Amino acid sequence: MKTLLIARREYVECLRDGRLLWAGGLTVLLLLAALAVGWQNRVAVESERTAAQQLDYQDWLAQAERHPHDAAHQGMHVFKPLPPLAIVDPGITPYVGSTLWLQAHRQSEVKFRPAQDATGLQRFGNLSMAWVLQILGPLLVIVLGFNAIAGEREQGTLRQLMSLGVRPRQLLAGKALSLAASLGTLLLPLAVAAAGFVAAGTPPEARGDTWLRVLALLLTYALYFSTMIFLVLAVSGWAKTSRIALVTLLAIWIAGATLMPRAASDLAREWHPSPTRVEFNRNLDDDLSAEHARAWQSHFGVDKRWGADLPLNRWGEALQVDDQAGYTVLDRHFGKLWNAFADQQRMQEWGGVLVPLLAVRALSMAVAGTDFAHHRDFSVAAEQQRRTMQDLISHDLIHHADPLGHQHFSYKAGPEFWATVPPFTYAAPPLGFALRESWRAQLALIAACLLAGVLALVAMPRRA
Amino acid sequence: MNEIRTFLLVVRHESRVLVADRSLVAVMVLTAILVLLGLYNGLDASQQREQTIAALLVKQDETRVNNVARLRRIMAGEEAPEPFSNPANPALVGGGQGAQLAVMPSLPLAPLAFGQSDLLPDHYRVSYRNKATFMYDAEIENPWSLLSGRFDLAFVLVYLLPLMICAMSYNLLSAEREQGILKLLMSQPLSLSALVLGKTVVRLLPLLAIATLLPAAVLLALRPDVRAPDQLALLAGWSLLTTAYALFWFALAAAANLFGRSSATNAIVLIAAWVGLVLVAPVLLNVLVAALSPAPSRIALATETRLVTIQGLNRYNELLSTDYRYTDKPELLLPQQGRFDVPARLRAFYLIHRDVDHEIEGVLAAFDRQLAGQQALVDRLGWLSPAVIFHEALASLAGTGARRHQHFKRQIDDFHREWRAYFEPRVQSGTAIQAADYSTMPKFVWQEAPRAETVRDLALRLLQIFLPVAVLSGLALRRLRRFSVVPT
Repeated sequence: MKTLLIARREYVECLRDGRLLWAGGLTVLLLLAALAVGWQNRVAVESERTAAQQLDYQDWLAQAERHPHDAAHQGMHVFKPLPPLAIVDPGITPYVGSTLWLQAHRQSEVKFRPAQDATGLQRFGNLSMAWVLQILGPLLVIVLGFNAIAGEREQGTLRQLMSLGVRPRQLLAGKALSLAASLGTLLLPLAVAAAGFVAAGTPPEARGDTWLRVLALLLTYALYFSTMIFLVLAVSGWAKTSRIALVTLLAIWIAGATLMPRAASDLAREWHPSPTRVEFNRNLDDDLSAEHARAWQSHFGVDKRWGADLPLNRWGEALQVDDQAGYTVLDRHFGKLWNAFADQQRMQEWGGVLVPLLAVRALSMAVAGTDFAHHRDFSVAAEQQRRTMQDLISHDLIHHADPLGHQHFSYKAGPEFWATVPPFTYAAPPLGFALRESWRAQLALIAACLLAGVLALVAMPRRA
Repeated sequence: MNEIRTFLLVVRHESRVLVADRSLVAVMVLTAILVLLGLYNGLDASQQREQTIAALLVKQDETRVNNVARLRRIMAGEEAPEPFSNPANPALVGGGQGAQLAVMPSLPLAPLAFGQSDLLPDHYRVSYRNKATFMYDAEIENPWSLLSGRFDLAFVLVYLLPLMICAMSYNLLSAEREQGILKLLMSQPLSLSALVLGKTVVRLLPLLAIATLLPAAVLLALRPDVRAPDQLALLAGWSLLTTAYALFWFALAAAANLFGRSSATNAIVLIAAWVGLVLVAPVLLNVLVAALSPAPSRIALATETRLVTIQGLNRYNELLSTDYRYTDKPELLLPQQGRFDVPARLRAFYLIHRDVDHEIEGVLAAFDRQLAGQQALVDRLGWLSPAVIFHEALASLAGTGARRHQHFKRQIDDFHREWRAYFEPRVQSGTAIQAADYSTMPKFVWQEAPRAETVRDLALRLLQIFLPVAVLSGLALRRLRRFSVVPT
């Protein structure tokens, strides 16, 4: 009862105070702008992507009669779908490409990172609802709550409150509830609007998963804001004056929002180094040629690839052997690179216990389907499509071994063969995948929230 | 004379106070640590980049020497040529075997700012293959790190230096007014302007020394090429720029103080200004710029590339179904009197790449135009936030900005054309590559953007930062006359 009384009084006071109007209003405006930008981006990209993907396959089917290996050089394009929740949290989208050209011989990387088409301003950050909530959200909580306890202490009302026999737990709960209510008043209508836009942008067959993801995202931010509320109340309860509380909280916020993420990412790179482009390519090339040499030696007993020692009518077989030998090497190298990225991120997710931004960022983009794990899932699926295409082609070439002696590329496949290559269909993995991949971030965020809660409870005044 | 003496008195007194309450020392030490950390990261990364490039150039030289040596052995009959790696075959040498490295060298001042260097490559391997195949490689970097940004000196200066300044001067006058000391001070023969100036100078000079002199000294000690006269001039320009940015925040703090509100209000005004100018404005500006000069569609580029490739495959379908006569006539892989029998299939590949290049040129140019348009908008709208101008200027002085990369891409365009022009007649007419050709083939020679452009750029940015400094100082001066020394 006392809890609710405290909460109600505090909430009404907050509504009357200009702070909610100004700080809250600005945040809401930014969030609305971010939602509009996200929605507009997605609408523009998604329809074009779907059309391009269909066109690509139609052109593949309708291509002229040609040697299958030439068709493999033409290849196929696959485009990464933008998940519906990307309008809320685009995650790493600006920094990874969305287009893959599947060609013969080598695994391609996803090209065309949007950030390469932007100016240096991009590096200040990307306007999205997630950015506003993660970076500016804590500031809003600070502005609304820095004097929640310290202010009462200054005005002497804390003494009166204590004299009523309010327990620390009741005080904390009341203050926290009122802050949560203020934030809810501001943010929940926006959450509903965003959910509406997300649902509108989701194809009917994926709606179920999308709703679950929306729910998970809501929980994620609820947890993040709870952490912030507890942290603010902890400092407000500990500080002698509201000025000290404000300065301390601002210092914590600045460190957490700007300094720590950069420091953590640099530290993680030191700890789990990833190769430079040059190193990666050199190692891959070396391993590929060693593996190819071994495969050619063991299958055909020759030293040179594509040399005169192997009759042309066995080149289809050679293509198959060559490709298969490459697959394991590619898997090893890309796997190692991607694991290094994942390790770097995981280390930072654990850092989320102390810097909640790191945990919420990882969790939010995982749930939105815009994190590296989802990107990797797509890359693997696309490479699988390339291999399917390659294997079908080599197989076809074995069956149509060269009839004309040295006229190696005289054989031409036609539409029936093109149709044996299936279209690329990719469905993003369900929420379960995202949750499995992000358990560290979940744990870290929960731990951070509990830690902040305990700190707040300890910092609550016992006597005035 | 008297004014100067009182001013010096204020400076001396204020320094004593600040040293005694340890806040000045604490802020200075913290700033120095952050500056050194950021600089260390920058130095480390530039050194790594430079080593990588050096290693690549050595490797390229080795490849060339190898090719020449192999060609000599083949001509002497000591080695049998291979079909897909033959130093005499112009279609192979121009395509991949002899591909040339085009490098954008890092500048002596590179450690000052990462800029876009973790995103945009500083080298490309140029061959006659179409540009879509080699121009869109990017440096390997964890996207998460790209999103977080790097802890470099530019970050420390753009983001954190203003905070240090605000922390030092949010209560420049308000504290003494609140404590009632200001009243006493003003009863002395001391002008308010001398007081404000003296207090500002005590905070400004040590901070500036740490933010500009310290990195400059470290750079001069560790990177000998910074000691060249032109680089020293650029370094001086950089210091001036940093000073201007610091002055902006000091002027803002002084102006806020002269409005005569409480310390708490000043602190909130300053932090709000920081959030607005450093955090929010650049992000909004980015959205605005992208909306005003939107990037053409990459999906359309991919589709276009594929379509022209298909057309090429159709056009040269006959050439592609080539004979591989060398399998039973290996002597075809040998040059005969300066001629080389370029297999029709390889010729077809050359032609397809040439045609694709030709067709997508317009699309690629649209991307470059759009990016240049965005950059022009950033330059024009940058005055909305000194942080944006400062950030852009730092990257451009360090040579890691988008503009220098555009300049690099234009040079690659030219070089790519030159390379193709060298190989086209050789591939088409079947002219064998000779050992001597390896030293006369086109080489990429980097041309720095004209110095005058850099200087003009720097001057413009300095102006863009000094202008708001002047406005804020003017405002502060006006308030100075109406300032009341007792809290109202």
